[in-house]
Amino acid sequence: MANKSGNLYGLTTFIPIKRTAQYGTVNGQSRSSKVRELLQEWSLHPNDESPMAKVPNTYLCRFYVLNDVYYQGSPAKEDHLKSKYLIFSSNFYGKLKPYLKGMWDNAQEQLKEVLQHCVAFEEVNSSDDFVKYIKRCQVKTTFLFNGSTDDPLDEQLKALYLKQAFTHFVFDHHNLINKGKAAELQQAFKAFVDKAQPDQPIPTWSPGWEAEPERFEENYRF
Amino acid sequence: MSNIAGKAYAMNTISPIPKCKAWKNRLTFWAAQNRVIKFLIRLIKGNKPKGLVVLSMIHYARWLIVSPSQFPNLGHDQPKERLKYVYEVFFSNFNGSWDQYVDSFHMAIPSGLDRLWANNFKYPGSVPLQPFHDYIEFNQPWTNHYYNAYPMATSNDVKSAQKLKKYLLKLMEETKNADPETFLKQFNQLLRDCQHDISLMEPTPIVSLAADAVAKREAKRS
Repeated sequence: MANKSGNLYGLTTFIPIKRTAQYGTVNGQSRSSKVRELLQEWSLHPNDESPMAKVPNTYLCRFYVLNDVYYQGSPAKEDHLKSKYLIFSSNFYGKLKPYLKGMWDNAQEQLKEVLQHCVAFEEVNSSDDFVKYIKRCQVKTTFLFNGSTDDPLDEQLKALYLKQAFTHFVFDHHNLINKGKAAELQQAFKAFVDKAQPDQPIPTWSPGWEAEPERFEENYRF
Repeated sequence: MSNIAGKAYAMNTISPIPKCKAWKNRLTFWAAQNRVIKFLIRLIKGNKPKGLVVLSMIHYARWLIVSPSQFPNLGHDQPKERLKYVYEVFFSNFNGSWDQYVDSFHMAIPSGLDRLWANNFKYPGSVPLQPFHDYIEFNQPWTNHYYNAYPMATSNDVKSAQKLKKYLLKLMEETKNADPETFLKQFNQLLRDCQHDISLMEPTPIVSLAADAVAKREAKRS
């Protein structure tokens, strides 16, 4: 199945947005315009405040409103969509059902704000309903390419934390390394291991952090 | 608009294929992921990595060939789509700018690229560059919200971090009871083995394709 590549799942959904002709506007604003406005409001915040930062195992995901398909010019025939669609595309670790349940359990408030403008969303009242709803809107991937790793997100974040911490450690201890001061370097490395806990899940980085936390480097200067 | 999240760019395209030619695209994608065919191609052409693998700036990418009947219909009087074409939908998550990415495709895998889009209406070919740029730009819907779990990291950082973590755990294990000189030897070996993987990740400035969006986001954060 092309939706999966190893542990990576590529979810694509086309969620039909309620048409103005049928459902009217929201204070004079079409539903598609409202959806777009709400999504762009999310983008004003840093990544770690995105509703999707709360959804376990999300590597990268996006939302956009597809208004119509593009006319390619003569001799192509003009083609139009009858509905506008909210496109949600996510790359995540693991299986679809637990992922969607995690999405509902952790971000339902913000999701409801957006999805209330989509067709038949009023039928969704629980995580099971949400799973069914998204599956009805899913479009199968033809070809999925994984250019990164497919480890659980927590492992990816821990590895990135270690990469940053160890790089600081190497930079800050270059004198010991260059001068071959073995005993002192070994002591410093032991302190690094005690602090960074490479074989433990924490300390680690939070999903969506856009910058190194303050005083991070000082923690790895021994 | 939010095509950018940290170091990642979200590209989307949607482009029509005449219905009578869509099977060719489906066949190409099937062959691209068929292990036996991939093995035979490697056998004939040598064992060098070909195709998307050489573009290490990609996190995840996917293609969908969507026929009109595959557009989700949720009832509630949602009209059925009666499109004249089949649509090829493309999503990519990559590092760097739009131009760098499109140019890399054009220079690294022009023939592979042409195979994936060859039957699409008015596809100009990946060489020369300018018509190819125009085609992608014309068929690209912009993203309204893009979330990235590790905005500071590139795809290569994620892969490097995985490797470095493995080597750190190995060093810890092998030098648990080692004398300082043995430790120094093993430590230096790690530095040599991971010299391409030890680097600091820095935050990216707030970037967007719209100056207005940058101003709004900066105002929100100050």
